[in-house]
Amino acid sequence: MGGDAYTFKLFGLNFNWTNVISCIVVCVVVFFLMFALSRHVTMKPKGGQNALEWLIDFTNSIVRGQFTADTAGFFEFFIFILFVFLFVSNQLGLFVQIGWGGHELVRSPTADPVITLTFSMSAILLSHFAGMTHRGLKEYFKGYVQPNAIMMPINFIEEFSNFLTLGLRIFGNIYSGELLLKLLGQLAFSHGVPTILVSLPIEMVWQGFSVFIGAIQAYVFVTLTSVYISRKVVGE
Amino acid sequence: MFVLAESNQLYVGDMLFYLISFIILAALVWHFAWKPVTQMMEKRAKRVANDIDSAQKNRKEAAALAAQRQAELKGSKHEAAQIVSDAKKSGENQRTKIVEAAQNDAASIKAQAAIDAEQARQDALLSAKDDVANLSVEIASKLIQKQLNADDQQALIDSYIEGLVKHEA
Repeated sequence: MGGDAYTFKLFGLNFNWTNVISCIVVCVVVFFLMFALSRHVTMKPKGGQNALEWLIDFTNSIVRGQFTADTAGFFEFFIFILFVFLFVSNQLGLFVQIGWGGHELVRSPTADPVITLTFSMSAILLSHFAGMTHRGLKEYFKGYVQPNAIMMPINFIEEFSNFLTLGLRIFGNIYSGELLLKLLGQLAFSHGVPTILVSLPIEMVWQGFSVFIGAIQAYVFVTLTSVYISRKVVGE
Repeated sequence: MFVLAESNQLYVGDMLFYLISFIILAALVWHFAWKPVTQMMEKRAKRVANDIDSAQKNRKEAAALAAQRQAELKGSKHEAAQIVSDAKKSGENQRTKIVEAAQNDAASIKAQAAIDAEQARQDALLSAKDDVANLSVEIASKLIQKQLNADDQQALIDSYIEGLVKHEA
């Protein structure tokens, strides 16, 4: 994990340049994408506003399927921004991979398990926090002994496995996609023109497929996140 | 500052960096994109609902108005027919009245004329009777006054004729 990247230490914390730069790139791309799409908001939408509204409707439909109308409010935005962030993160490594001196500088942030587990941890913690605030501590702790007290260990394991699977699923998909892209790139330049001709169409196909996978994984991540949160907030 | 990573280190800094930058990004996107667009979507939804409501109301009103117009039209047709029939009736009445009056007038005029004519005839008859009576009285008086001889007769005739001439004159 990041063994081939530049790192630095600040306030006693380890930082990885690849992740930091990628994060900034993703944030800038997301911000300017959203900023550009939301200019000149009018009653009769056109152009960018249409696209943004379609996206908002899309993520809202994910949330509204899980939540009741009065609890959906904030989570609609959370799921929306999470989806956009993860989607751009997943696609970033497919288009831009910058290395320097044999070390990567820009790639998909979601190809790093530390980052994906950060997001899954945040999502799970948010679900617990939301469960406590929306239903009260008593109801929240009651959730662990449902349907009866014997299930408590299994419930604990479930929470932990939710955190792991949520983060590792997206990492595995994106990481493997980029790894295969890299391998195809190496194949292309291994024996001159013939290998380029062979690997170019494969690379293109795989890239297109990875775009698809990136979208699907972002969708799966936010859907599961909203399921986990809604289970704590609304109840099962 | 650039050091190569040691494989078994956890990049807690990255985690915090991602969390914080994600929160900042979320705040910015909330302010610049999410809020205006969702507000507009809400406003549009409200407006559409309002439009549907008001369209329904308008349609109802229009239907009611059309029904009212229809009723009024029917009423006015009826009224017009009433007026025409009234006019006809009154015209008829007027006509019969006039004709009756004319007939009455004519009858009274005729009756008056008959009475006048009768009066005139009576008058004429009466005067003729008077004349004959006078004449006969005169003749008788003249006969009585004079002894009738040839001369006297001659004189009587002459005086009579003279009288006639006088009478005529």
